[in-house]
Amino acid sequence: MTTEKIRHPSEAAKSVALQKLESFFAEQPPQKIQMPPARLRQLTRRDVLSFGAGALAAGGFLLPQETLTRLGVHRKLDPPAKEWFLNRALRLDDDVAEALYSVNRKVSTYTKSQITPLKNNYNGATPDPGYISGWNLTLEGLASGLSISLDIKNLTTRFSLHEQITRLVCVEGWSAVAWWAGLRFDDLIRGYPPVSQAKWARVESSVNLDAWGNPDPYFMSLDLATARHPQTLLATHFNGQPLTVDHGAPLRLLVPVKLGLKNVKAITRITYSADEPKDYWAERGYSRYDGI
Amino acid sequence: MSHSITAAKQTKSTSTVVQQQPVLVVKRHHLLVRWSHWLNLPILLGLVLSGISIYWSSPVYEHKPDPITGNFDVAADIGVWLCAHVPGLHHYSDPPDWIYNHLSLGPGMLALALRLHWLCAYSFMLNGVVYVAGSILSGSWRSLLPRHTDVLAALKMFRYYIGFPFAKLLRKKWLHPLFNTKYNALQRAAYFSIPVAGCLSVATGWAIHKPMQLHWLAAIFGGYNAARVWHFWLMWLYVLFIVPHLILVLADGWDTLRSMIVGWSRRVEPPQVIAHDH
Repeated sequence: MTTEKIRHPSEAAKSVALQKLESFFAEQPPQKIQMPPARLRQLTRRDVLSFGAGALAAGGFLLPQETLTRLGVHRKLDPPAKEWFLNRALRLDDDVAEALYSVNRKVSTYTKSQITPLKNNYNGATPDPGYISGWNLTLEGLASGLSISLDIKNLTTRFSLHEQITRLVCVEGWSAVAWWAGLRFDDLIRGYPPVSQAKWARVESSVNLDAWGNPDPYFMSLDLATARHPQTLLATHFNGQPLTVDHGAPLRLLVPVKLGLKNVKAITRITYSADEPKDYWAERGYSRYDGI
Repeated sequence: MSHSITAAKQTKSTSTVVQQQPVLVVKRHHLLVRWSHWLNLPILLGLVLSGISIYWSSPVYEHKPDPITGNFDVAADIGVWLCAHVPGLHHYSDPPDWIYNHLSLGPGMLALALRLHWLCAYSFMLNGVVYVAGSILSGSWRSLLPRHTDVLAALKMFRYYIGFPFAKLLRKKWLHPLFNTKYNALQRAAYFSIPVAGCLSVATGWAIHKPMQLHWLAAIFGGYNAARVWHFWLMWLYVLFIVPHLILVLADGWDTLRSMIVGWSRRVEPPQVIAHDH
């Protein structure tokens, strides 16, 4: 900048500040050095080989055997470490989900005009309604050491019902906003306290069927921290009506902070334990925590 | 091969051997930028393939089930259309799954696809941090910043690229627009947008992965369902970017490709000087 252009001290000061700012964002002149061509060739060879080998190995490592077979690679390439890596990623993601969870953070609720259809997503066949008449809920792992059986009347008269319109999100990606009513899981825990060391609940449905209509008992692990969330319900009503078989009559778990697959229909048994119980979908390669 | 290795050894051990004249090279890409650049290749491949497998389980674009086939997925329709119209695909055994068999890990692999998607997604975020670190250490982020002259300059570049094949066919002289920066306006726009798209992919990914705990993030993108649509189309942005990126790098020559591998370029002079040389 020439002295002719600067007329006032204030303008000069401003332009110096502006220059500083501009030079901070301005592209820097490139750094030049002399290099013997042999050295450049050597560097090139080393880096091409290492980058190429790295990228190929990473690609081969990532792709599942089934995909490789489909692409025409019939040799078994799956290294044993791959399962370990994939499972580590899943555990890491579960830990992140658990860190994000807070019993005080409520999920968004909706108005009745925002309700969307909820499909019957029974994984196999929808059970015959015959089971409902003899249905009851069994509680085990209680501090009292007793095994408690409750029918739907016991539950609805003993505990107060709460309504909520929340989103149910499926692991597949679809979701539905639905209107539920039921008792709070937390109230049930207070009414029938679990053993003091209990950290988990195993939630079971014995009326679940596979695609051919054969019994396929469904069991799921739920951490008690999530069970105590104020929006975790044992739902008895859907859209203002008692639950239908499609939606898990007479009692289903509604846990909006978890994926739909944790929202067990037609619950028949809850068992509290200190150790993490087995989980139907975790055994099939899905997450165990499923926190959303 | 053996000759050059000997030459390299001699460089290190002794100065008495007469060497070839040293060449002037210019530093172009930081080591961390190069590493993150190449790691994006397998990571994005894993993300796209597993992502389309996840998409299969609940397509964003669907219609009322077809009364005959029961199909509701637009991607399956495209597969059926391709197999009916593309020569050589007429005998494909499973047209509705053509897209998923060729552009994803495969249909019906949700659990595996999710685990792979998480592995690649965490790697992608980590890789993004590596890229940012390399950009800051080398100061190369400055070369990506858009400038107020870029719109016009980018249009000139477009005109150049579109006219290039015709000029070649007519054997006419077709000069590359001049610029004296590391990248031309179109490159700047592309290399600036891709990291921005990366951030958006990560943000929309978290929005649909944790729609309850991070519901505010989903709200920014218009809610859970809208965030899924964002996430889906951002993927196509990378695919759309990679095609011209690959063509132009190969057209530009070995020096450009090598500079992303070794970090150095032999193009020391500003591009306009090179342009005049031709």
